Formats: sequence, C-alpha cells, structure tokens
Amino acid sequence: MTTDVATEHHIAQKPRRNILLRAGFVRAAWMAVLFFGIFEGITVLVRYLEGWYPLWKGDVVTTVALTVVPLGFLAGIGVFDYWVSYFLGGPTVPDDHSSHGAYSWKDYFKVNTDHKVIGVQYLGTNLFFLLFGGMLALIMRAELARPGMQVVDPQTFNGLFSVHAALLIFLVIVPAFAGLANFVLPLMIGAPDMAFPRLNALSFWLLPMGGIIMISSLAVPGGPFATGWTGYAPLAVHQPLGQVFFNMGVQWAGASSIMTALNFLVTIITMRAPGMTFWRMPLLVWANFTTSLLVVLATPFIAGSQFFVMFDRVLHTNFFNVNEGGYTLAYQHIFWFYSHPAVYIMVLPGFGIISEVISIHSRKPIFGYRLMAMSLLAILVLGFSVWAHHMFVAGMAPWLRVPMMVTTLLIAVPTGIKVFSWLATMWEGKLHFTTPMLFVLGFLSMFLLGGLSGIYLGSVPVDIHASDTYFVVAHIHYVLFGGALFTIFAGVYHWFPKMTGRMYNEKLGKLHFWLTFIGFNCTFLPMHLIGLQGMPRRVSDYAPQFADWNMFISISSFALGASTIVFLYNVVYSWRFGEKAPANPWNAMTIEWLVSSPPPVFNFDEIPQVVGGPYEYGVPGARHAIMAPSHAPAHEEVPAH
Amino acid sequence: MQCLPGNASPGPVGSGRVRRGAVVQLVLFGLVAAAFATAVALGFDWLPDPASKQADRIFFLYWLATAISILVFAVVSAVLIYSIIHFRAAPDDHSDGPPIHGNTRLEIIWTLVPTVLVIVIGVASAIVLSRNSDAGTNPLIVNVTAEQFEWQFAYPHQGNVTAAELRLPLNRTVKLVMKSRDVIHSFWVPEFAQKQDVVPGITTTLVITPDKLGTYPLICTELCGLGHALMRSEAIVMQPAAFDAWAKNSSSAVAGGGATAGKAVFEAQGCGACHTFKPAGSTGTAGPALDKETLYKDAQLAGLSVPDFIRQSVVDPNAYVSPGFPKNVMPGTFGSLPKDQLDALINYLVPTSTKTVSP
Repeated sequence: MTTDVATEHHIAQKPRRNILLRAGFVRAAWMAVLFFGIFEGITVLVRYLEGWYPLWKGDVVTTVALTVVPLGFLAGIGVFDYWVSYFLGGPTVPDDHSSHGAYSWKDYFKVNTDHKVIGVQYLGTNLFFLLFGGMLALIMRAELARPGMQVVDPQTFNGLFSVHAALLIFLVIVPAFAGLANFVLPLMIGAPDMAFPRLNALSFWLLPMGGIIMISSLAVPGGPFATGWTGYAPLAVHQPLGQVFFNMGVQWAGASSIMTALNFLVTIITMRAPGMTFWRMPLLVWANFTTSLLVVLATPFIAGSQFFVMFDRVLHTNFFNVNEGGYTLAYQHIFWFYSHPAVYIMVLPGFGIISEVISIHSRKPIFGYRLMAMSLLAILVLGFSVWAHHMFVAGMAPWLRVPMMVTTLLIAVPTGIKVFSWLATMWEGKLHFTTPMLFVLGFLSMFLLGGLSGIYLGSVPVDIHASDTYFVVAHIHYVLFGGALFTIFAGVYHWFPKMTGRMYNEKLGKLHFWLTFIGFNCTFLPMHLIGLQGMPRRVSDYAPQFADWNMFISISSFALGASTIVFLYNVVYSWRFGEKAPANPWNAMTIEWLVSSPPPVFNFDEIPQVVGGPYEYGVPGARHAIMAPSHAPAHEEVPAH
Repeated sequence: MQCLPGNASPGPVGSGRVRRGAVVQLVLFGLVAAAFATAVALGFDWLPDPASKQADRIFFLYWLATAISILVFAVVSAVLIYSIIHFRAAPDDHSDGPPIHGNTRLEIIWTLVPTVLVIVIGVASAIVLSRNSDAGTNPLIVNVTAEQFEWQFAYPHQGNVTAAELRLPLNRTVKLVMKSRDVIHSFWVPEFAQKQDVVPGITTTLVITPDKLGTYPLICTELCGLGHALMRSEAIVMQPAAFDAWAKNSSSAVAGGGATAGKAVFEAQGCGACHTFKPAGSTGTAGPALDKETLYKDAQLAGLSVPDFIRQSVVDPNAYVSPGFPKNVMPGTFGSLPKDQLDALINYLVPTSTKTVSP
C-alpha cells in the first residue's frame, strides 16, 4: 500500500528540465555566481556614486558576498521554488509531494520535504562538521603537546580554537538535536510530517551555509576568525577579515535554528495524535518543546550581538568604540543572554533522549514523569536569569554578581532532580547494556562531574580564580562532550534501526563507547588540574611547569579522535550490510516503534490513537498507542475524535 | 499515581523501601567511591600555594565545594554501581521491571537536600566575596594599564614610579585601579587567586593582600589577540623596606637624566619583554633584537638614520616592520611618552659608535 502511494508520487514528477535550469547543484553554482556579480556590482556602483574609496573594500565586499552568495545557492538548489512559483501566479498543487521521501542515496543531496530525509541530512551534515572540527582540535593539541611554538603560528592557533568551538557548537551539537528530533518527533506524536515541511527543508539548507562560511574563513588573507567562539568586542572589531565570516556564519546557523524551533513548536502544539495530551507526551517531546521555546526567545540575541560587531566594522557605528561613547560590556550582556540559554539548548534535548533510552533499556517507567517535565520548564525559566555568571570577572556592576550566583546555583536543583530520577528509573529494572544504554551511563557519570565542576564555577570567589582557565575548558567539555555529545551518540544508536532499517553492530558500538569514554576522561580530567594551578585558556604557549600534563592530554586526545573511526565504520558498514531491523527491536512503547523500520514515506497509513502514558513498562496489558481503533484492548478507553 | 507490583519483581516495590543487604552494599559502594574521590582530591596539588589573604578564603570555599561534591559523587556512584551489578537483565530475560511511577517522599527529599547544599555554598561565597572586595581604609594604590601585549604598573603615591612588573610590599592591602588602552585584558596571579578583566572605557578594581614573599607569574587571561599567550609579567612580593627603597631609587632614576634615565625608561616600559638588548640584560624574542647589526640593517632598509629609525619605530611602529615579524604586535602607544623620557630611551638604544648624531 505504502509503496504504491510512493511510486505514484514519484512518477507524478514533472518532466526533467535542462540541467542548468533544474533545481540542483549546477543551478546553485551559477546562481551563486550571478548573485555575487549583481550585488557586488550594485555595491561598487553605490560606492562610486557616493565617492567612497576604495571601491573594493574587504569588509564590505565580504559582508555583501556572505549575504547574497548563500541566497543564490539556496535559490539554485531549489528551496524557494514553490514560493517563487506561487508569487508568480504559478499553479499550486494542494498535495504536492514531488520532493518528498528518499528513493535512492541521491535524494539525500536534494531539497526534500520529508522530515525523515531531513533528519538524516542534518545528521550527515553534523557528522561532517564533527570530523572537521575534531581535526582542528587535534592540530591544536599537537601544538600544545610541548611549550613554545612548533606546529602553527599564534594567529593560526587562535583561529583553530575559534573555528573548532564555533563549528562544534553551531554546526554539531545544536543542530544534531534538531536532526534527531526531526526524524523521531513527528513519528513519536503520530504526525505525518512536520507542520511546515517546506520551511523544514529551508532550515536544513541554511545550516551548511553557516558551516561552509566558517570553514572558508580558514582560507582568507589574515587567517580565520581568531576571537574564540565568544567573539568579544572590541577585539572582534579590530580583527582581520576572517572575523566577518564568524559574524555572518552565525546568522545563517541561527536563522536555521529559529525556523526549526518554530516548526517544532507548531508541530507539537497542533499535530499530536488523538489522545496524546501534554501529560502523555514522551519526555523527548517535552524536551524539544522547552528547547524550542528557548531557541525562539534567545537566538535573536546572538544575531543582534553579531550584527552590532558587523555594523561597527562595516558601517562605522560605535557600539563598542569607547572613544565615541560606546559600551564594551554591552556585547557580553547581549551575547550571553543567548549563549547561556544555548547551554540548555545543547543539553535539554539530550535529557529527552536519555529519558527515552533509559526507560526502554531498563524496562521500567520513567520515575516521576511529571516532575521530569516540570524540571525542564524550571530550567527554561531559570536559564534566562543566569547569563551574567559568565561575567563575574568582566567588570560589570558588582551587585549583580550575588543574585546571578544564587540563580546559577539553584539550577542545580532541577538538574539534580533529573539525575536522581534517572537513577531511580534504573532501580530494580531489567537493565540491557546495549550501546545506547552504555552511552546513557557514560552520560550520567560525565554529566555529574560537569555539574559538580559547575558548582565550583557558580560560586563567585572560586570562579574569580578559575574563570578563563583550563578548568573552564574541562567544565565545558564535560557538559558538551561527556554530556551533550554522549546523548547524541546514544540517540543515534538507539534510533539507528528505525532510521536505516538495519541493526548497528553491537560489538563495534561497545568498542566505540569504551574508547570514547576512556579517551575522553584522559583528555579532559587533567585539564581541571592544570587550570586551577594557573594555565589560562586560549593560549598557544604556556609555562613549562604544565608540560607533562599537556603531553599526556595531547596523546589522549589523539586516542579519543581515533575512536571516531570505529563509529564511522560501524555506521557505514551497518547501513549497507547490517542485519535487517524489525519494526520494534527494543520492544518499546512509543509510536515511532509501531511503524516499520524504516518507516513508510508518509509515516502512518492509519492515524494512531494514543490510549495511555508512553512508559508503561511492566503494567500488564498497557499500551501507549494503537494503530487502529479495532485493535483497542477492551479495558482501555479510546478517546472519541 | 498507580503502582502495580510487577510479576518478576525481586523485592518490595513502590515505597522506596530497600532490602537490608542492599543498604549495606550501597553504603559500602558509597564509601569506596568517596575514598576514591578523596584520594584524587588530596593526591594531587590542585591549587597553587596561596600567597594572599584573598586566596586563603577562596581556597577554603574550594574545599567546601569539594567536600559537597565528594558527598554527591559517592551517593550517585553507589546507586549506579549497585544498579549495574544487580539489575543487569539475563540475555534471555525479556520481562519488564516493576512499574514504579514515582515516590513523592523521595522526590521531595532530592529536591530539598540539594537546595540546602547550594544555599550553604551560596551564603559562604557571598561572605567571602564581600570580604575579598574590601580594601580597608588605607590601601596602596597601583594604577594598572593593560594594552596589547604588555602590562604597566604605576604607583601614584610613590612619585609616580612606573614598572613593567608588579612590585608589592608584604602584608599591605593593595587596590589595583585598572584601565585598558585597546581591547579587554584580564589580570590574574594564580597564587593571589584574584582575577579581574581590564576593560576599555571602564575602570575596574581588584583587592589583594599579599602575605608571602616571592615572585609569581602574572598572566593575561582574556583573549586579546595575536600575542595573548605572551602577555605575561611578574608579581614580586617584597619586604616593605625593600619596596620603599626600590620605589625611591626608581623615581630618582627616571627623573635624573643620562644613561640611567634611558635604562630606567627601557625597564619601566617593559621593552625587554619582547626585545633582546644586552646592556639591559633582556632576552625577549617577540620583537627584533636591538643589537647593532639588526638596527643598522633595518635603518638602512627603512631609509633612515639609526636614531631617526629608532624614534620612528617607537612612535609609529607600523611605519616599518622588521622582516620576519608581524605587524601590529608592537604597541603604538609609546609615542605618548614625555619628550625627555623618549629622548633618554633613544639615546640609550643608539649603538655607541653613532652616538654623535643623537639630539
């Protein structure tokens, strides 16, 4: 039945046009060049008419190029085709599924409106940037293995850690959750797709624009942006050209993030299957709901902070020029008003993944489901009131420090509730130590350490000693690598059968976990020590007293990097040759496991009916959802619709 | 919430009661984890040797947080280890665990206990913060100026002596009054444990009461550009008498003129941090050496006489940059030196055989 529908839609595609005019990479290439030509031409013309010399000025040319070239590319690849045709009065097909679903590997490189294809597109993109950003970190560790300068020069080094952090944050951690949720969330709530499939396709294609811009900064004269991922003004205003690539790259990634979040919100609010009340939603859905609220409210602030810097550079405004009445700290307040909530954007969806995996692989209901959902909301609210804890030594108003410390420390409470509830979920369960479960256990222990070092940093006086040192580097990696990235690995393994229709190799998965877990701790644990002893972060050279530990850290980091090869091999090999996956290999209750692996192109032939909570393991006869009313168990009440 | 007993449940369920054997094991695992964490906490030198009163208080807080962390770590580890050992499902066991949905009493406990713990840390931190920010009634004032990529310390009540390293008398509270000439820098001496950003357009302050003699590294901890990693100096804690003598000598040397004046300016401005110059005994390598051959060669390439070339390089460093060195590293702010100091410095740097050309 499903295949018939799919084939029908496939055949119904329009006749193929000339390759130059057809949506795709060829059209994207020439349209990018065309847009560049037109808009740089206009820029030069305006400068000539106004008498602004030089006509061809680096910052201006670059800003214009990084705005219009991606637009040209996107227009060429075809994300705007439907809307443009609608504007021009073209015929609109109410059920146009011409670019929906993947029928060969080539479809993953085209604009596609199927949330499952987009989810995989996201994860593939994230994997590429994870490898690229990881390589940059390894070059950095090569330089830091010994004191003095051996491998790169100082400006390049500053560029390496800046591009590394920007890629890993904006192109890996934040969007990888969007990718996983894109695939899983509509299935989980029983929806045929996201609320706005074309917007969904646009959000995905915006993302690689940001990443490619950031990577291409490595090739510009003067080197890549070198102000860290925080890009503090006024340093960022005076840096070479590469800085513009950060200012603009962030805008593309941020726009992508906001659109996806809006899409998730509308999807979750309006497209839940009949019977799925808010208190029957799986915690992954809760987690993405709160995360999306955070993204929508906070992300415009980082856009603002980067626009201010860009204006200071290009339009000669004076937001951060103290000689003309500018205010330096404004940048940090605006930046952190996004970037602290961003920490939760990067970990709340992970909490959702942990809840799914831990309940299913422990064969027990989530302990304290409602409190788990409420603690997410508590983190959402508190998360907006702690931004200035990044600024305890920044020179802001001294009275602001104590209230910010109080809110910061209080966030430990809802976070603690989650950790204790996960432990209680495992208590007396039937634990199956599959690879996703191992990553969950790894997450619990690593995130615990990250949370505890967060208590040190939350205390203002200790933070005064430890801020801007390797202690902070250790803390952020325990939270974002041992925390967020471990949950992403858990999620990828857990839903791998659903995504690909094949089982991953369990032995390789476990090998990957142990190599990562050991490599991670050997790399980042000693950083706490050298940081407290006096090694500042973001330095290419350091005092000889730290030489031994740095050598140890560098060697460990290479082992950690090598562990990724096992993961890569497992993904590629299993996707091609893995054992065929059944619909429900984990014997789970949530709706995505009620459809085949991989799911049909349009998800559900019948609309699922939600008849109970999502984690009723061990309750005799309990069901979360049923696919057709006729299969309903007698004792369950099926809501009318 | 409804709690049904599971079919294969091994013990009492749903009320938070645990078998006695389990309690013994949990306590045992907790003690092992706590012992391990304590060994890690005590087995390494996590902190530098404190050299200020503020550092003593901060490190006290550090140990308070460590004690609480070890407690939390032990509890979580105990439950985790116990679960991994005892709740592992047999390979052919496809049954579910007992359907425990929650336990209100337990949930209240693990909301309240962490709240109390963080309040303890919060209150202790607030007290330490207020005491560490108190400069007392008669602090020694030091004006700190940061710029890419060097520090300058001026003593307004010691005849405005300036120096490239921070000299402090023992046991006297000092208040650093800090300004930046370009971008954000950050002042940190790990042994003092006090840190403060130095921000353009804002005057920030920092209070330190050194209580141990010695020489300590002084580091910029806020990324400030190309030379950030090398923006280091020293904090030297001296006996009060030695400090007074140093301040007196330095102020008369700068005012006195002649070769000692040039040397004093060279040292006060911290030129030696980046330039090798034998007469001053400096060995910096971030900038070109100031020996005769290099100066002659560069002056020739720049098309200037040696004294004029030195003057230009001090006042407008980017006009000519020695081959092999990047632009914008030498600060452009030495042009604001008073004329007599600038002349003294140039006179000091010009190689002896060309001294006749000097102004």
